[in-house]
Order: sequence, then structure tokens, then C-alpha cells
Amino acid sequence: MRQLPHRATFALLVLAFIAAGCAQSETKGVSGLPPTPWVSRAVPDAKGDIKILPDGKRQAVRYRGWTTEDFGKYRTYAYDDSRPAIAPGRMPMPAVTGDPKKGRSLFLARSLGPCTGCHLVQGDDVWPAGNVGPDLSTFGDRRLPDEYVFNLIYDPRHIFPNTTMPPWGTGGVLKSDEIVHIVAFLKTQKGPLQLEKNRERNPETRPKPVGFGDNLDPTNNPAVIRAESAEALWVRKGPAGKSCAECHPGGPLQSMKGVATRYPKYVGHYTRVMSIEDFLTVHSPETTGTPMLAQSADNLDMAVLVKMASNGMPVAVNLSSPEHRAALERGMASFNERVGQRNHACADCHVSGKGADRFLGGRLLANVQAGLTRHFPTWRTSQAEVWDMRKRMQWCMTPLGMNMLPADAVEYAELELYLTSFDRGKPMSVPGIRH
Amino acid sequence: MDRLTDNSGVTRRALLRALGLLGLAGLGGPWPGTSGMAHAQAQGPGSLTNLGPEEPVEATMKRLFGSRPLKDGSSAIKLELPLIAENGAVVPMSVEVNAPMTPQSYVKTIYIISDKNRRPLNAKFTLSPTMGQAFVGTNLRLGETTDVRAIAELSDGTLLITKREVKVTVGGCGG
Amino acid sequence: MADIGRVRIRIPSSIKQGDVVKVRVLVIHPMEIVQRRDGKPVDKNYQFINRVVVTYAGKEIAQFETTQSVSENPFFSFAFKAMEPGLLTVTFLDTHGGKYEGTADIKFS
Repeated sequence: MRQLPHRATFALLVLAFIAAGCAQSETKGVSGLPPTPWVSRAVPDAKGDIKILPDGKRQAVRYRGWTTEDFGKYRTYAYDDSRPAIAPGRMPMPAVTGDPKKGRSLFLARSLGPCTGCHLVQGDDVWPAGNVGPDLSTFGDRRLPDEYVFNLIYDPRHIFPNTTMPPWGTGGVLKSDEIVHIVAFLKTQKGPLQLEKNRERNPETRPKPVGFGDNLDPTNNPAVIRAESAEALWVRKGPAGKSCAECHPGGPLQSMKGVATRYPKYVGHYTRVMSIEDFLTVHSPETTGTPMLAQSADNLDMAVLVKMASNGMPVAVNLSSPEHRAALERGMASFNERVGQRNHACADCHVSGKGADRFLGGRLLANVQAGLTRHFPTWRTSQAEVWDMRKRMQWCMTPLGMNMLPADAVEYAELELYLTSFDRGKPMSVPGIRH
Repeated sequence: MDRLTDNSGVTRRALLRALGLLGLAGLGGPWPGTSGMAHAQAQGPGSLTNLGPEEPVEATMKRLFGSRPLKDGSSAIKLELPLIAENGAVVPMSVEVNAPMTPQSYVKTIYIISDKNRRPLNAKFTLSPTMGQAFVGTNLRLGETTDVRAIAELSDGTLLITKREVKVTVGGCGG
Repeated sequence: MADIGRVRIRIPSSIKQGDVVKVRVLVIHPMEIVQRRDGKPVDKNYQFINRVVVTYAGKEIAQFETTQSVSENPFFSFAFKAMEPGLLTVTFLDTHGGKYEGTADIKFS
């Protein structure tokens, strides 16, 4: 059965919505999107550029330490990317003898799935396996035909049309004979199971992570100290001879009180939804003359400072105006859209009943419906860096096998609006601290 | 409510040192335009020769304590560590030794050793009776799942040891 | 790293004479780790804090020898017995000759 792509479904819903309320002529022509494509004002590493090398090979420009692999083949969130998701594919099972030992290495290989990211199997050395997918420790007892299992791994969508499991074969992550070895390995996964020696090994019994303590304590969270750099920036005169302080007297924490609770928001002057970080990229050069490129240290530090001014106040994004409603619909559509080489939607990992509150490998997947945006930007202990929501989104794209959009892309802003809708009424607490 | 104080100063000495770096490294350092010069070893306390060897934990233990007996300190030492570290870069740790801190008898030193780190000795805390309580905490960098040992040395030379395993998750989706 | 050397100390707002006080301190510092190229360590003077000195009311009360196994932006906590009013100073020394200091004024309430 060919599924209607989510974007089309939501587009129809929106059209139906508009058709139903056609009497309100103010919605005519209003989409909440800029009339011409938005020119990114991000640092070079954050623009999602593709470099063409002299030999014609394409290389993705990303942050230092991130892969340069180009995933241009696979569709992205870009609104002008109308390519469909990878169509379900099929391949005959090659006549190779499956080697269970090779299969086990492939199953555990971090450079591939790893399959253990979602599935537990037997072995004391299996660490850390996740439980987004079913426990396969006794999969061999089911005695499923080899060819069935091969097809399941090659492209599970023939059997489970709406599955989270990536199409490993069709997407080109696993070669056909590699899948044969994995099939042979899975056949060895038989009961009876040994008694579990380590509570942590099995994601079902593993204790949940405890976090990193008080996010607002500067002796705990370096990002709080970083925000103080922005206080100096606030009073510094830019090239235009003005500082933020001149138009916003009373100091940043007083003059910006409550402002961040309303972001991301539709800014009429730029005809697009903007986060604080997006807004700084245009507002700062236009007033003080100081550039505040997206993902620059100045931009991140200033965004933290501005948001801190609203700490303790409830998130109050506007979801009722026509522009906000349209943006919210598009953001929700992006959230549910299957993208990239692994054919994942945000929803696959971050919604209750799917991946949320389960382990993906060693990491617990967050539930967006619990409201997560009010802690962003956040300090990331594993990166020793401040990350805003955009870098977090751009990061996610990468293991999904999708090229990232510029950090200040409208698509990300509207996705962020959708995510922020779950924080409504909850108190802001910036900067956060997490792994 | 806690009081927070902020004092930071990069001293003049540090600034001058930074500016004069060329002068310090000049002796024996590679000069521009001379090829074929043997690799000069880096100078400074942070250079490889001064860092000490990468060694197995048994060698570290031998070097620090020789054949001195290590008593079971599991009841006297409270070693707090997460069971699972979400990343190895920042692993919060604290040690509290239930022992007096008087001039007559006190905890002199606390050693923190992580078995699997290339240089297992992570930190050495030297205390005095003025501390009032033998309590220290820090954040550790762990390369992989490992035992972390806390060894307390009392003023009379007694050594107490306890240890805990920390399972380290590496980053990335699925890892 | 522009903010290198910034120190923050946290002590209880109300201290009585004789209290055993817990102190939290953090310093911004890269704590450089050994780089490897083709599996071999790169030789250079890595910049990390290798000594922490705690003084109270003019006397040195503790000293920590620290390594690259302490996390970036190192955090330390310790306890001391507040017997007299005076300055508590935590000094961080790194392998590049850097010296970073934080102080807290111990007063009794």
C-alpha cells in the first residue's frame, strides 16, 4: 500500500482548514513565509554548504569534527525539496553462506547501525544496547525463514509500512551479503537465556540517567559564566556607534524581561518565524552594526543572556494568529516527515509510545511532549560547548543521513515553534546543562 | 542560599610568559629554514616527557604504594560516582572519608585512580586537619568503562581503598 | 578560549564559627588532552591545570595535584572548618605558567 506522504496529508488539512474558514479574507495569501528564499546569516560551518572538489566529488561543510559525507541523495526538510522518501526496495537474497560471527560484528558495529542501538542481543560485551526496537535475544527460537528475515532487514516497510526501522538495504547502509551474515547471527539467538548479571546491560532494567544538577549554578554550568561575556557585549559600541544598552536601558536582565517567552515568533518585518538567535542575526547589524552570525559565540552568548532575563517566567508563544497557525502546521509536518538515508522522522524517536523514554544505545531519548525547548541554549558536557536548538537539530540530521540546512533556516524555526508549543506555560530555565 | 564570588585574573606573569613563549622554547627548538633538524622534544610541564608514562594501573599502584598494604576502606570511604556515565568527558565524583581530622590523626592524602585511563592517576588531594572533614569532589574524564579507585592515606601511614565501576557510554546515536 | 581563568566560588551565605563549610569552585580552562596522530601521541606542552592551592586566613590548607583526567572547565569541591574570619583563596596553576585565582571572604553571621 502506498502511503500518502505526511507533508501532503498536512497540506490537505491546511487547505481544508483554509477552505472552511474562507470567510475570513485576512488569511488570503498569508503563508507566514518570506516571499524570496531567506539568505542565511550563519557562520560558514553552519550554513549546510556543499563544497565541490576539483575531481567533482561533493563534500558537506559542517562543524569541526563532524563528518563531511554528502547525503544529497536523500530528501531534507527544505520546503522546496519535494522529493519523496526512499521508495521501498527489494533485492533477492544472495546465495552466500551466512557467517554468524561476521554477522555479530556487523550487528554491533558502531559505524553501521549499530543494530544494538535499538535491539538487545545476548552477550556480556553487548554495551550499551537500546530498546527502541524489540529484544532479539531469543529471535532464533521463532524459526523464521531466512528469506523473510533478509527482506525484513533489507527494507522492513514491506512488512511494517509505518516502521521506525531504517531501510538498511534500500538506503545503502548494509550490503546484501552483510545482511545474510546478520540473518545467520540472529538464528543463533536462542533460549534459554542466562541470568542477567548486570542490571545496566538490559535497557529495560537499566537505571535512567540522573542529569547534571543545578543548571543555573555557575560552579556547575560553565554556560552561566559564558553569558557574562554577553553582558560586556551589551554595552559595547558596534561599528554604527551604538550599543544594545542605548535602545534597551536598564541592563539586559531588566530590559529583556519576558521577551524570550514569546519566541520563536512570526516577525512581520521579515515575514518569517524567528527565534532569538535568528532575530539577532538581523537586528544587531541593523542597529549597532555588530554582526551576530548564527552559531557565532556572540550570537549564542547573547541568546543565553536574553533568555536568562525570562527565567522563571512561563513560555508564552503565540499559536493563534494565521501566520503562527500556518507555521505551526508546517513545523508539525516537518516533525512527522520521514527524511534522510535512514528514513526517520523526529517523531520516531521523540514521541511517547515510539522512541521517547527508551534507550537508543546508551542514551535516553527525550519526549518532546514533556517540553524541552525552555532549557535551550544548553551546555553540553560531552562537547564542552553551548548548543542552541538549531545545532541540536543539525546534529540529528547527520546520523540520519541527511544534509543539514543553514542554522537560521525558516524550516528549523517553524519546527522549533512546533516544539516550543509543548513548553507553553512552563517556566524558562536557561542555560540548561546536559550530556 | 549560597554566596557567589567572582574573582578571576590572568596574572601579569602569565601574560608575559605567553608573550615570551618563543624565548623559552628557543633553546633546542627547531629554527625556521633548517631542515633535517632532529625533532626537538617539547619543553614544559605539559610535554610528553613530563606527563609520565602511559602505564597499566598495576604499575601506577606499585609506583605510588610499593608493597604497602591496602586495607579495605569500603565502610570508611563513601565514593560517589554515577553507575552509568552518559559521556566520558564529565563524570562527577566525590569522596568522603569517615575519619577524624585532628592534628593527631587526619586524612593526609586522597588518590583517585581510574584503571583504564592511559595514565591511571587522575588526581591527588593533599589535605590538612583544618579541612574539618575529608571530603573532595571533582569531574573526571574517563576513556571507557572502568573501575575508579579512591585511596585514602592517613597521617599514620595507613592506606584505605575502595572502588566502583563506572560504565561509560560513548556518543552518537546508538552508542 | 577568551574566558580562560574565570573562577567562580560558592560558599553558604551564612557561616557560624566552627562550621565545617562545603565549598564549590569552577574555573574556565581547556584542560588540553593528549592528541594522537596515526595512533602516536603528539609531543607539545599541553595546557592544563596541574596544581590547585587552597589557602585560608593566610595559611595553605590543601593542595591538589591534577592531571588531564580532570574534565575541561574543572570543578572542585572540598570542606574546611571555619574557625576564624579571613580570606579563602583557591589558586589554579597551569602548565603554561598561568595562575588563576578566586577568593571568598569568610565572615561569621
